[in-house]
Amino acid sequence: MNPPIDRRSFLTAAAVGGATIVGASALGGLDPASAFADPTPSLDPAIDTAAFAEGRVTQIKGSALEVAGSHGDQHVLQITNGTSIWKVHPTSINAIEVGDGLYARGVDMPDGTIAADAVWVNIVNLHCTVSGIGRDRIQLAHGQNSVVGNVLPGTTTASYLGGAQTSDLSGMKIGQAVQVLGAWRPADDSVDLVTMWVGH
Amino acid sequence: MACSTNYLWRGETTWFCCGPGWGPCGSAGGGACGGCRSDSNHGAWPNASAACWDITRPDYCGENMPRRGCGAVMRVRHQCTNAAVCFTIRDCGPRTRSFCGERTCCNGVCRTNRILDLTPRAYSTIGSLSSGKLPVWIYE
Repeated sequence: MNPPIDRRSFLTAAAVGGATIVGASALGGLDPASAFADPTPSLDPAIDTAAFAEGRVTQIKGSALEVAGSHGDQHVLQITNGTSIWKVHPTSINAIEVGDGLYARGVDMPDGTIAADAVWVNIVNLHCTVSGIGRDRIQLAHGQNSVVGNVLPGTTTASYLGGAQTSDLSGMKIGQAVQVLGAWRPADDSVDLVTMWVGH
Repeated sequence: MACSTNYLWRGETTWFCCGPGWGPCGSAGGGACGGCRSDSNHGAWPNASAACWDITRPDYCGENMPRRGCGAVMRVRHQCTNAAVCFTIRDCGPRTRSFCGERTCCNGVCRTNRILDLTPRAYSTIGSLSSGKLPVWIYE
């Protein structure tokens, strides 16, 4: 029986060796949610000390993403066979566009790039108040700002006071507190609604 | 207080953005303490000050956690994976009172009530950002 594959070694090898690596499925689920659903850590805890990037994509060159950080820093992310990518749902590098925002974690490489372990594209988690309800959109007050939330049929769900997630949004009321996990749309500054937790 | 192993509290953690950022996070500001950054291991505590307590009111949900002000350092551990990270309090939150009784579970064991908010960097160390909230234990 082969020994378990260390995630750090896998990512490093993937970034250096490209197509010669083994299938990423050896590490378990590839989507970010399932990567953390296992009772034992599926990711090397040492990754915590390595690398994190935040910012907007300025260029895409093959499997490399150039990212401008919001503090003036610059990053180059290497997307490998082992990289989990989220943009509304688990997806691939093909879904990433110049101008997208992201958070990424990974492993520092000797050349200064980051071999990405997980990339969350345009993800937001906003604590809002419901200010308007329409058929295909929900108006949200986020601090002093207004945010348009787009309802995505088949994707958007809500839970009410801790209940199970449901696609039935009829229980939402104006004035309720709501946590909105979604994906920002750079083109119009709206947010695609993925998961909502409605409070009181 | 430091990043150690003395039990402090347990419950749900969510995540939030702070400091310069993109999209809706661009207006987030540096938190109640100042200097909060999404790309740093920072967090928000419901009892960061008396004024903070008046906003979050965790006692409405039966949570009477102790005061830990700006700059306090804590360690948060995912209840099931044991993944952990140390972070510094830079903001006030979450608004516990709005979600009394809410639960997050793993392996059949649940944690109740929102008692912590983490920046994307800190949260992504112990779980996926797409999960939205996690069951955690907090130490100092």
